[in-house]
Amino acid sequence: MATDLTERVQEIAEARGIPESEILEQALERGVEDLWIDLVLSRYVNDEIDRETAIELVGRDRVKRAERELQAVEDDVRWGLSA
Amino acid sequence: MIVAVADTGPLIHLDEIDALQLLSAVDGLLIPQTVYEELEAGTVPSALNHLEYELVEAEETESIVDLDPGETASLAVASERSAVFLTDDLAARDAAEDVNVEVHGSIGVIVLAYTRGELTKSKASKLMRALQTETSLFITDAVVERGITLLDESTR
Repeated sequence: MATDLTERVQEIAEARGIPESEILEQALERGVEDLWIDLVLSRYVNDEIDRETAIELVGRDRVKRAERELQAVEDDVRWGLSA
Repeated sequence: MIVAVADTGPLIHLDEIDALQLLSAVDGLLIPQTVYEELEAGTVPSALNHLEYELVEAEETESIVDLDPGETASLAVASERSAVFLTDDLAARDAAEDVNVEVHGSIGVIVLAYTRGELTKSKASKLMRALQTETSLFITDAVVERGITLLDESTR
C-alpha cells in the first residue's frame, strides 16, 4: 500500500509537472475534505444537525443523495426483515 | 415466495465481498441475458456457477433515460413477471418505483439471508459494512451504519 502510494505520487507529479510535495499537499486537502463531508452527513443522518445546516456545510446535492440512499437502505432492511 | 431479477450491480457487489451465494435466499433468481452479457464484458463471477438461476430474455424493452441496457432489461423482466427487481442503482430504483415494481438492493439481500437463517446478525452487519468499504458500490458510510442500527434493533 505504501509502495503503491509512493509510486502514484511520483506518477502524478511527473504527469502534471509539479513537485511531489505539492501533490501530497493536495491529497491531504482532498482527504480532509472527504472526511469532513462524511462527518457532516453522519451528523445529519443521526439527527445531530438539521437539514439546512447540512446543506450549508456540504451542499444540497450531497444532502439529497444521502437522503435518497438512506431511504433505500431503510427500505431494504425492512424488506429483508419482513420477507 | 420471492422471485427476483438481478441487475449487474448486486451480482458484482455481493461477489466483491464473497457473498454472492446469499442470493440463494430468494426462492427464484432470474438473470436477464443482457445482464449476463454485461458481466461477460468484464468477468463473470465464478461463484455464479454455484447458484441456481434462470437466464431469461425480456420480452419488450423500452429505453429509459439514465438506465443502462442491463437495468432496463431487468426492470422489464421484473415487471412482466411481477418479480422483485434487485439493483444498487438509485436511478434504477426510482424508475422501478415509477412503474410500481418492487425494488431492493444488495443490503436487502444480506438482511433477507439473515432473516432466513443463512447468516448471524453479526455476520450480516459485517457484510453490510464491507459493502461500503470493500466494493465499488458508492454509499455514504453513515447511511450504512443507520441500516446496521435498524438491523441490530430488530428481533427475529
